[in-house]
Amino acid sequence: MTDKQSSPTYADQAWQGVTTIVENVQLARDTYRVRLRCPEIAQAVVPGQFVMLRLPGSNDPLLGRPLAVYDVLADKADGAWGIDVVYLVVGQMTGRLAGLAAGSLLEAWGPLGNGFPPLPAEHLILVAGGIGQTPFLMLAEEALGRRRFGNPPRKTPLADRVTFCYGARSKDYLAGVEDFQRAGVDVRLATDDGSAGHHSLVTELIAPAVEQSGPAVRRIVCCGPEAMMEATAAEARRLGVPCQVSLETPMACGIGICFSCVARIRDASGNWDYRRTCVEGPVFDADDVVF
Amino acid sequence: MSTPAVSLEVQLGRLRLANPIMVASGTFGYAREMAGLVDLARLGGILPKTITQEPRQGNPPPRTVETTAGLLNSIGLDNDGIEAFIERLLPYLAGLGPAIVVSIAGRTADEFTQMAARLDGLPGVAALELNISCPNVSGGVDFGVNPTSCCGVVEGVRRACSLPVLAKLTPNVTDIVSVAKAAADGGADAISLINTCLGMAVDWRHRKPRLGNVLGGLSGPAIKPIALRAVYQVARAVDIPLIGIGGIASIDDTMEFLVAGATAVQIGTASFYRPGVSIEILDALPDALTQLGATRVADVVGTLDVETK
Repeated sequence: MTDKQSSPTYADQAWQGVTTIVENVQLARDTYRVRLRCPEIAQAVVPGQFVMLRLPGSNDPLLGRPLAVYDVLADKADGAWGIDVVYLVVGQMTGRLAGLAAGSLLEAWGPLGNGFPPLPAEHLILVAGGIGQTPFLMLAEEALGRRRFGNPPRKTPLADRVTFCYGARSKDYLAGVEDFQRAGVDVRLATDDGSAGHHSLVTELIAPAVEQSGPAVRRIVCCGPEAMMEATAAEARRLGVPCQVSLETPMACGIGICFSCVARIRDASGNWDYRRTCVEGPVFDADDVVF
Repeated sequence: MSTPAVSLEVQLGRLRLANPIMVASGTFGYAREMAGLVDLARLGGILPKTITQEPRQGNPPPRTVETTAGLLNSIGLDNDGIEAFIERLLPYLAGLGPAIVVSIAGRTADEFTQMAARLDGLPGVAALELNISCPNVSGGVDFGVNPTSCCGVVEGVRRACSLPVLAKLTPNVTDIVSVAKAAADGGADAISLINTCLGMAVDWRHRKPRLGNVLGGLSGPAIKPIALRAVYQVARAVDIPLIGIGGIASIDDTMEFLVAGATAVQIGTASFYRPGVSIEILDALPDALTQLGATRVADVVGTLDVETK
């Protein structure tokens, strides 16, 4: 762990500017996918990083919003040219965003944050609650050797198997399941009301997934509501599987200058201090997080 | 478009800046964070996040909440203390080029003078800004709400070091002019106006404050009229230079502050939502000065016409 005032993941590779919305479509209840033309971000981003998006010229809402990059669009002629961002409408900014048509402009800066470290795992288990699923498609595509991300493209150990445990309130909130299936991911669903998959908490899917791969080197990564991440971290510890969590904290800037987005993170001596999720995270070892 | 005939240099007492565009303390981290997004060398001055004698953990989250055209914060001077600053952060800042104005906050007048003495003469420290106005910590704000204590702190720091001293004042007072006069009497080289306005936000459905620390400081475009008013009032009452702070996000905002009486400005919250805004403003400044027929910044400072209709 670096000291509080420095970080290896400052926004040194970040681009800032105005992007054009190519497409903005509804995927599920209150859930949308916006496709942005921004080659600079598309070429640099690695799984687990995020971007800040802001309505141009607006003083209300004033600030940008941090949103995970869901996928990178690329073609043979232009290489990586755009990004997909999947978002849940929760407030004023995302509400306005959902109403923007193709051709509208958005301010953006990114990619930001550390992203998921390229750690070896024969069996990678992704655990998501609700909109927490958005950083996982790229990670799955990368781990299965279907895509490479970053500039230069980063090298990452391949997994034999990727299992995606995905929980939501109900069936109509599930978004992008077919994207994961198309990438070769074993998708297991849980809903609070039993309308799709298991009628249970998503954390109850973890142990069966882990047990399925026998003696393999495993790794769990998790993103979702805090209580769900805390439960996942406890389950990973019980099962003896290393676990990383991607924290979602309110951010004002996304680039490390406001000190808003702090979480309680332990150092080597076991003491905790407030650390900036934007530049020291959002991905942390689960054992380092004080929930 | 650049206009070579315009000089951007400004003088804040004993502190000379290559241009009047600075970035405000607490809104620019320790500058290293912004190296990929801002050409740091071009800024007139950089104010790193306020440091204190001892490390401070800061306030519990949520530390910020957005309000209409503004941002409410209760960060609580989260920092690793003066010695960590000197050892780990100052060497980088010292090599950047712009004037590094170190923002300090003491719990007591003695702590202010001890910190000033410690920083005096260190390579890279161009000046001090006394944060006697942070609303988020007990022991800091008190100096800025009382003319006598404000004067005492500034005097103490002036005696303790040879650095130029800026006093950053709070708007949360009955009469900011009397506090500004006291800062000038104490020997301040310049006065920074304003720190954040004390405010709060409420989640009525849960009957809860939205900030972890209940109260916080409001910044952003919402407070620009308050800051302009403070600059205008103080400019008529004191002879030392002023630095305008509060909701500045464009060249128009910047020019409004200069005309109202500020010699320089600090860009604050705008860096959060438009990281490169400080350089955008700097690029636009020569042309804006030329529009008023000015060849240097001082030509427009305090030229507000309140007499003719």
